[in-house]
Amino acid sequence: MPVVEHAVVITNTIGLHARPAALLVQEAARFQARIQVRSGEKTANARSLVGVLKLGAGLGTTLVFQAEGDDAAEAVQALIALVERKFDEE
Amino acid sequence: MTVSLVVVSHSAKLAEGVSELAGQMAHGKVAIAAAGGTAEGELGTSVERILEALRQVASPDGTLILLDLGSAVMAAEMAVEQFTQLQDQRVTISPAPLVEGAIVAAVESSIGNTLEEVADAANNAMLLPKLQS
Amino acid sequence: MPITTEDTLNWLRQLALVLHEQRTYLTELDSAIGDADHGINMDRGFKAVSEKLQTQTETDIGSLLKLVGTTLVSTVGGASGPLYGTAFLRAGLATAGKRELYAADYVALLEAALEGIKARGKAQPGEKTMLDALTPALAAAREAAEANLDLVEITRRASDAAEAGVQATIPLIATKGRASYLGERSAGHQDPGATSSWLILKTLADTYAARSSQT
Repeated sequence: MPVVEHAVVITNTIGLHARPAALLVQEAARFQARIQVRSGEKTANARSLVGVLKLGAGLGTTLVFQAEGDDAAEAVQALIALVERKFDEE
Repeated sequence: MTVSLVVVSHSAKLAEGVSELAGQMAHGKVAIAAAGGTAEGELGTSVERILEALRQVASPDGTLILLDLGSAVMAAEMAVEQFTQLQDQRVTISPAPLVEGAIVAAVESSIGNTLEEVADAANNAMLLPKLQS
Repeated sequence: MPITTEDTLNWLRQLALVLHEQRTYLTELDSAIGDADHGINMDRGFKAVSEKLQTQTETDIGSLLKLVGTTLVSTVGGASGPLYGTAFLRAGLATAGKRELYAADYVALLEAALEGIKARGKAQPGEKTMLDALTPALAAAREAAEANLDLVEITRRASDAAEAGVQATIPLIATKGRASYLGERSAGHQDPGATSSWLILKTLADTYAARSSQT
């Protein structure tokens, strides 16, 4: 099973608060792959809103997406793109 | 079909506001009904209003009820009792805080989680830090 | 002489008047340790009950009590609606089909009401709630019934025990309901729910005694 990992820096002002976190979760749910998101020492299941919110990742934080499964590459790519688009906030 | 939500509050405005917010987070994918205030439009709870909300949105995949204060629990329980006598559908009352619980539940429901998963996630909404340390 | 359908109707009509008269008093009690609407709620609920009862003369006591229950649920918000609603609904089930209530029936009625309130509200005696009036009332009724006292006396003793229970709520710290948010500040205040419970039992005892003394 392919495992894909990629990092991205949060550039939207409010960081990974409720609305962006929800978008992240909903995006992750579109894929079959098992996806984790890491911020510093903390890791969360990308499909868990509470888990993602507990990362407390703010502006300037690096998020590392790691996906395992058939569509792992697509999943990571989509999530990176979402973060780079500032979650369509700004 | 997704797990639906009923938002119960002593205030109609609060229930509607929370429903709106939760609905936005779910991008309209989740059926959410507000049941706030009394039948007379005053502050308080109404078994009938909650029952009406259940009739509107209850889902075969299950329904989660969020509420604001403990005193709404009895009214919610009575409404659920009456509702489940007629419809064999699962309805769970959540102990989660109203706003955080509704938002988490809406998002978790929007990605197709089960009633147990949605309820579980809402319960954990209590753990969310509001302020960054 | 048993409590009849007519007695029940008299009781409930008089109760609506009593709760209307006492609405300010109950609300004042509720402002001290609640959200200041108990009197208003009970008045509204029993006003609605009064209206509904106008067309109910030929029915059994159980049906009347159930009607009171459903009316209270839909007209009384907060905790009182579900609690009293359930109490009357259960009392109605316990007296279903009966047009006369004897001592055992009165005790059964109180038991059912009390069980309903406990199941609905999940409180125990000592938490500064209506249970603190109703639990002693039931005990007194049982004792009086076992001693084969007449029903007028039984209902009177239940009412007096409820009154004593109400007074006993004053020093209690609330651990249930809106008053529990006040913690220790709830001590020193009489519980409004216990007070209205007592008024309900007292009105029954009064109206029944008055009717009994006429015949």
